[in-house]
Amino acid sequence: MAREHHAVAPGRRARVVRDHHDGVALGTTYVFRRVETTEPMNAAGTAIRTQGLTKRYGQTVALDSLDLEVTRGEVYGYLGPNGAGKTTTIRLLLAVHRPTAGRAELFGIDAWSDPVAAHRHVAYVAGEPFLWPSMTAEETFEFLARLRGGVDAAYQAELIERFQLDTAKKVRALSKGNRQKVLLVAALASRADLLLFDEPTSGLDPLMEMAFRESVHEAKERGQTVFLSSHILSEVEALCDRVGILRQGRLVDEGTLDELRHLGAQTVEVTFAGPAPDLSGLPGVAVVPAGENAIRCEVTGSIGPLIAALGDHPVVALTSREPSLEEIFLHHYDSSDGAG
Amino acid sequence: MAPARAIARLTFRTARVQTASFALFFALVALVNVEGFRHSYPTAASRLAFIRSFADNKAARLFYGLPHDLTSIGGYAAWRVGGVMCIFAGMWGLLAAARALRAEEDSGRQELLLAWPVSRGHTFLARTAAVTAGAAVLGIATWVGLVAGRLPAAGSAFLALATVSPALVFAGVGAVASQLAPTRRVALELSSGALGVALLIRAVADTSSSLGWLRWLSPLGWVGEMRAFADPRPALLLLPAAATVVLFALAGRIALRRDVGVGLLQTSDSSDANLRLLGSPAAQTLRSERGSLIGWFAGIAFYAFVIGSLSNTISPSNVPANLQRQLQKIGGASITTPAGALGLYFLFFILAIALFGCSQIAAARREEADQELETLLAMPVGRLNWLGGRLLLAAAAMALLALATAVFAWAGAAAGGAGVSLPRLLGAGANCLPASLLFLGLGALAFGVLPRWSAGIAYGLVSLAFVWELFGALLGAPGWTLGLSPFHHIGLVPSQPFRAVAAVLMLAIGGAAAVLGATAFRRRDLAAG
Repeated sequence: MAREHHAVAPGRRARVVRDHHDGVALGTTYVFRRVETTEPMNAAGTAIRTQGLTKRYGQTVALDSLDLEVTRGEVYGYLGPNGAGKTTTIRLLLAVHRPTAGRAELFGIDAWSDPVAAHRHVAYVAGEPFLWPSMTAEETFEFLARLRGGVDAAYQAELIERFQLDTAKKVRALSKGNRQKVLLVAALASRADLLLFDEPTSGLDPLMEMAFRESVHEAKERGQTVFLSSHILSEVEALCDRVGILRQGRLVDEGTLDELRHLGAQTVEVTFAGPAPDLSGLPGVAVVPAGENAIRCEVTGSIGPLIAALGDHPVVALTSREPSLEEIFLHHYDSSDGAG
Repeated sequence: MAPARAIARLTFRTARVQTASFALFFALVALVNVEGFRHSYPTAASRLAFIRSFADNKAARLFYGLPHDLTSIGGYAAWRVGGVMCIFAGMWGLLAAARALRAEEDSGRQELLLAWPVSRGHTFLARTAAVTAGAAVLGIATWVGLVAGRLPAAGSAFLALATVSPALVFAGVGAVASQLAPTRRVALELSSGALGVALLIRAVADTSSSLGWLRWLSPLGWVGEMRAFADPRPALLLLPAAATVVLFALAGRIALRRDVGVGLLQTSDSSDANLRLLGSPAAQTLRSERGSLIGWFAGIAFYAFVIGSLSNTISPSNVPANLQRQLQKIGGASITTPAGALGLYFLFFILAIALFGCSQIAAARREEADQELETLLAMPVGRLNWLGGRLLLAAAAMALLALATAVFAWAGAAAGGAGVSLPRLLGAGANCLPASLLFLGLGALAFGVLPRWSAGIAYGLVSLAFVWELFGALLGAPGWTLGLSPFHHIGLVPSQPFRAVAAVLMLAIGGAAAVLGATAFRRRDLAAG
C-alpha cells in the first residue's frame, strides 16, 4: 500500500523527488516524497509570523501583543520562566486556543482559520505527552503517520533505535520520558517543515538529551525550521540560532546569542603586580575588588576605555568572559520592574 | 486521623456532582411514583383492577421485580421505586467505588498521597467512608421523596434503606474489582458485569414459576424480599450489610498488599501491533469504543429477545376498561396484544439507545479532557472532521442498536409464540432513531458550548424527558408541559402509527443542534479536564 506525502508550501513551485523506503519498523510500506523547492529551504521566507498576538483567559493576560518572526531553516529558542506564556504561544500557533486579538501565520497560512493546511507543515511535541493509553508505541506511530499521510519510515526506524524505544509497549506502561520519546520520534520522522517543541526534553535523561540534540542538528541540516520552547538554557545555547525571551506574556529581548551577549555585561578579571589602581569613573565599567592585587570589572558596551586605562599599570594576568545565556536570562528575569 | 479525614472529605467532594445528580433523580422518582399512583388509582376498586392486569405481567416484573402489595400506595412504591431504583443504586455504587479507589491510582495521585505520612489502611478507610457517606445521601434523598409524597416516615425510612442497600453492596463489588483490574475502565467493566448478572438472576427468579429461590442469590432480589410497606422484614438488611463488610474487607486486604497502580489481574504491557482501524480519527474511535459497543449490543439484543418472548403475557380478559384509559395516558394504547405491549416496551429501548448516544458524547469529552485531542488536532486533522466523525459513528452505532432491537424482539416474539411480523418490528426499530438522534444532537450542542458539563447535560436531558413522559401524565400535569418531552411525540410503533411529522421535526432539531454545537466547538478553546 503506497501512501503519498505532500508538503508543498503554497505559492512555491515544487520539484518532487521520490525516495523509496521499505517500512522496516511498520507493517506498511510508505512512499515518502521529499519535496525540494526550487529554492533552498533556508532561503528567505517565514515559517512563523505573529502580529499583535494576544490571549486573555478571563482577567489574566497570558500573552500580550506578541510580534514574532521565525525564518525558514532557523532554530529559534523560546525562553521564559514558568507561566510566561510559552505554551500559550504554541497553543495559539496550533489553533488549539483562539487568539483574543492579533493573528498568527505558519508559512503564510492563517493558523486559526485554516489549521489543517497549516498543520501539514508542522509536527508538534508537547511538554506533557498525551497519547492513547491502550495503544502500543508502534500502533501510535502508525496512527500518527496515517493522519499525516506519510512518514519517512527508514528515518523513523533509525530514530527508534537512537532513542532506544520498545515499540511493543503500551503507552500506559511507558514513563513520561518514554512517552515523550514516542512523540519526538513521530515528529522527527514526519520531516515536517516546522518542528514545534514545547519543553521536549523535560523527561529525558542526559543520554537521550544528546540524541535529541543530534536529531535537531540533522533537522537543521535538512533545512527544517525548529521552534524550541525551553527553560533548559544549556540546550538553547547549544542548539539555537536565535533566541527570544518572554516575560509575563511579552517578548522582552530577541536576537542571536552574540547580539544578546553584546547587550549583557562582559566580565573582565585583572591581576596586577602591585596594589590594584583605582579604576572607578571609567564609562560603562563597574569595579569590584577580587582578592589581594586583583579586581573584577563588569563592562557594558565597548571594552576599549578599560584596555586603554590598563595600559598604564603593571598587569600580570587578564581574563575576559562573555556572559552566559543564564546570566542574560537572569538579568531580564530579575529586573522586577519589567523594564527588561 | 486528621489526614484520613481530609482524604475522606476530598473523595466525597470529587464525586459530589455525580452523587447530587443521582440523589435528585432518586428523590424525584420516589415522589413522582407515589403521587402518580395516588392520583391515578384513588380507589380500592381501581387498584384491584390495576393488580389484575399488571401484577401478573412478566415483562413488567422484568423491570420492577415481584410486587407484594399493590393495594396500598406504599406497597406500590416498594415495587416501582424499590424495584427499579435498586438497580440505579447498584450502578452508583460501582461508579463511586471505581472513582474513589481506582481512578486516583490511574492518575498517579494515589502515589503522591502515599508519599505523605498517611498509611494505606487509613487512606482505604477514608475513601470507603466517603463512598458510604455518598450512599447515605442517596438514602436520605429517597426518604425525602417518599415522605414528600405523604407516605409514613418510618415505613419510608425502611423502603429507602432497602432501595439503597445495593449501592453499598455494589460499591463493595467495585472496590474488589478496583483491586483486580489494571485500570478504572476495566474495574467498571468487571463490576458492571456483576451487576448485570445480579439483574439477570432477579429477572429469571421473578418471571419463572419454579426458580423463585434464585432471588436470594442476587442483592437486587433481597430488596424485593424485604417487602417494605407490605410485610416488612427489617432483619434482611443484615444480608446487604454483611455482604458489604465482607467485600470491603476483602478489597482492603488486597489493597494493603499489592503494588500501587497495579491490579492483581495484570494484563500484558506489551503486545503485537494491531494495525487495523488506524486510518482516521473516526476509525481509531471505533477501535477504542469497540468493547463498549459490543457490550451495548449484547445487552440490548438480550433484553429485546426476552421482552419479545414475553410480549403475549397480557391477556385481554384481565384488563378493565378504566385501566386501558389510564394506560392510554402514558401511551400504552392496547397492551393486551403483543404488538401493543411491544410498542410500550420499545419506549425503554429508545431510552437505552438515547443513553448510548450520551455515552458517546461523554467519550468525546473524555478525549478532550485527557488532552489526547490536543495531540490529534496538532496533526493535519480538522476539528469538524474529528467531531463529525464521532457523531456519524455514534449515529451509525445507534442505527445498528435499533436494528438489533427489532430483530431480536422479533426472534423473541416468534419464540414465545406471538406473531408479530419482522417488517412491523423493523419499523419499530427505525422509530427508535429520531428521538435518540435528537438527544445526540443536543448532546453535541452541549459539547460545543459547555464542554465541561456536556456529559451531565446529555444524560440529564434524556433522564428528565423520560421520567416526565412516564409520570407527568399520571400526575395530571397540563398537556403542554407533557409535550416538552420528546418521548411524548413518539408513535408507539408497531401498535400505533409512525408519527412522521414529529419524527422529521426531531431529526431537524437534532441536526440543527449538532450543527450549532459543531460551530461553537470550531470557535472555542479546547478545555482540558
